Amino acid sequence: MECLIGIRFNDYVLLAADTVDARSIVVMNHDEEKFCKVSDQVMMAVCGEAGHTDNFSEYIQKNVKLYKMRYTYELSPQATAHFTRRTMAEYLRSSTPYNCNLIVGGYDNVGNKAELFFIDYLASISELPYCAHGYGGYFVLSTMDAHYKPDLPLEEGIKLLKLCIQEIGKRFLVNLPLYKVKLINKDGIQDLPTIQGADLVKYQVRPIGGDASAAPMEIGRA
Amino acid sequence: MGTSRYDRAITVFSPDGHLFQVEYAQEAVKKGSTAVGVRGLECVVLGVEKKSVAKLQEERTVRKICLLDDHVVMAFAGLTADARILIDRARIECQSHRLNVEDPVTLEYITRHIAELKQRYTQSNGRRPFGISCLIGGFDLDGTPRLYQTEPSGTYHEWKANATGRNAKTVREFLEKYYTTEEVNTEQKTIKLAIRALLEVVQSGGKNLEIAIMRKGQVMQMLDVDTIDKYVKEVEKEKEEEAEKKKQKK
Amino acid sequence: MALDSLCGFSTSQPAFKGFSSMCTLQNDLDVFTGNFKNNLQLMNPPAAHIPELEAMKVDYKDPLHRERKTPYGFYKTPLGYGPVEVPDVGAVTAPDSGLKIKMAHGTTTLGFKFKGGVIIAVDSRATGGMFIGSQEVKKVIEINDCLLGTMAGGAADCTYWERFLSKQCRLYELRNREKISVAAASKLLANICFHYKGYGLSMGTMIAGWDKRGPGLYYVDDDGRRAPGNLFSVGSGSTYALGVLDGSYKWDLTDEEAQELGRRAIFHATHRDAASGGVVRVYHVKEGGWEKISEVDNDKYWEKYSGDKMPIVIN
Repeated sequence: MECLIGIRFNDYVLLAADTVDARSIVVMNHDEEKFCKVSDQVMMAVCGEAGHTDNFSEYIQKNVKLYKMRYTYELSPQATAHFTRRTMAEYLRSSTPYNCNLIVGGYDNVGNKAELFFIDYLASISELPYCAHGYGGYFVLSTMDAHYKPDLPLEEGIKLLKLCIQEIGKRFLVNLPLYKVKLINKDGIQDLPTIQGADLVKYQVRPIGGDASAAPMEIGRA
Repeated sequence: MGTSRYDRAITVFSPDGHLFQVEYAQEAVKKGSTAVGVRGLECVVLGVEKKSVAKLQEERTVRKICLLDDHVVMAFAGLTADARILIDRARIECQSHRLNVEDPVTLEYITRHIAELKQRYTQSNGRRPFGISCLIGGFDLDGTPRLYQTEPSGTYHEWKANATGRNAKTVREFLEKYYTTEEVNTEQKTIKLAIRALLEVVQSGGKNLEIAIMRKGQVMQMLDVDTIDKYVKEVEKEKEEEAEKKKQKK
Repeated sequence: MALDSLCGFSTSQPAFKGFSSMCTLQNDLDVFTGNFKNNLQLMNPPAAHIPELEAMKVDYKDPLHRERKTPYGFYKTPLGYGPVEVPDVGAVTAPDSGLKIKMAHGTTTLGFKFKGGVIIAVDSRATGGMFIGSQEVKKVIEINDCLLGTMAGGAADCTYWERFLSKQCRLYELRNREKISVAAASKLLANICFHYKGYGLSMGTMIAGWDKRGPGLYYVDDDGRRAPGNLFSVGSGSTYALGVLDGSYKWDLTDEEAQELGRRAIFHATHRDAASGGVVRVYHVKEGGWEKISEVDNDKYWEKYSGDKMPIVIN
């Protein structure tokens, strides 16, 4: 039910994750943080089975930090992603596999490029310009296919992300009202303003028994 | 045979209650290069004597001060190879602690962890004690500066200022004489006190010293040679002036 | 060795590790920092080293006790890139999950933070199927002067593990000479839950308290999930409680208003949820510790609350 989206442009990466934490039919938390800051230049968005997500991402985070303490320099985004994949693969073949899916976004300060990795719970990995986890992907991969250009400036990039999120809000049955957004570029990781899912007020219905050619009526506003 | 039997298995006491191997480890520490730690009002300064680097040796590979976590720094005297093992363990524990209780380690916690490890190596067969003494400095979460010392036996204590390694006694006596709260109420003064203490037993010159400063909520800073030299010159000048004064009095 | 199987004294346990294997450092690393290499090893189940007991345990290779659909995972998934079917959040308790043990967990508990601290309110009914086992269960567990835990789900699991937590918190205090933070306490419990994930633990708890960072409220459950938050409700009556809470909750409640809101939410939940009832208990966590505010039977509130309706506020 959850939704993660990642888009990589020439010099920055955008990550978005919904903020719903549900148990059974109840939403327990409306501002769940599905991100995990792995290092100054690498951010991970995680979804999947409750418990697994936090546990796995924190485990990766602390190990990457330990690497930095040991060797005084940090793992590159690519190395971080592959370490994550490897760890996931090892657990997959143990009696206690982790059931979570991740998107790793980062900016490589040595190679000077933005990178985005898609990792799933079967420990497959791929470097992609854009990707999504969860049902949301069924709606927005085509949206991104149609609109994505690697050289879009930040404002345009955010617009594309908004377009995707609103499409999910409009067509996906499950209510995911709010998305947290992170920007990763050469200056590190930044919070961007949250993006609202579908704004119901915008959708219009025809009056009952009304003329099909008549102007639609707005709902939601008294 | 005589006492030699007690030497072999370190888990055995000598009749007069000594654990010789542990005491020998302490001797190894006394042979190590001098390390000094001074706890200031808002900083902690650690300094060690740097042995002269061989002509063709890469200088950056010789370090006796290292970070355990962002807020914990450690200096040591004794066997460098032993220290490496201890440091790695401490680093793992720092992250493990963060993973388990979501807080960074307190200075006492990590010191105790290191001391426990050292103690364990004095009480089981097939091991030998760590031949190092550590000075551990840094800040607790609430912002209090701390300075701890551990010894090969596994004891640990908190200090305002202390020294270990070669001539530690001389340096400690110097610190006991000159350490006052006024003497460490600024960062400069604290650094200077640490350098003065080291210069009691170390050949003068910035390249013979390694100085690290921890400030509240900031990353550790290693002083560069020029800055240390500046302090060294200042200290030497003061010393000369003092000597001059004494002469005049006579 | 007889001692091995009887007492669980095993050479692979840190405390009784044989000397022969103590020489290698890597060995040490594995043993003493095992939780870092594999954080699933935080705590060994009581029977882990006793073969006889181990054999009695449920099949841990398939912890969820359901048939595997694919050779590796639990869920049918398209391979390769593209969206992946994420498991239904209700999977574990879903009717087709084929769980062998099904415990009744009828309860309503709630907790919320507001400007004056944290309110914890609970009912007191214990049910087993159609049968009301007790009307006076204490569902708030007083972990220490500054920490409270609530219990929903299996009473035994909650009581045992929260008492265990209480012990750990006290040990932490003795070792570190400072009170444990709410974050750390809840993480301890979450780690236990995570370790036993799939073994059939049943608990949904809130850990509330006051530490050096101020008021804290965490939700911890048997999935190993742990989330900080301002407002939670757990148990079969939780939806009813939320229906009352969400309508009137705001940060700036006075102490009396907050206590009354918690009390009222529990009352209305017990009214609608057959598995909740008995006494309404309200606790207030303030700086310096918690305080028990009230402990009154539901019946006493009926007349008052059915006559005195709450104002309707739309934000």
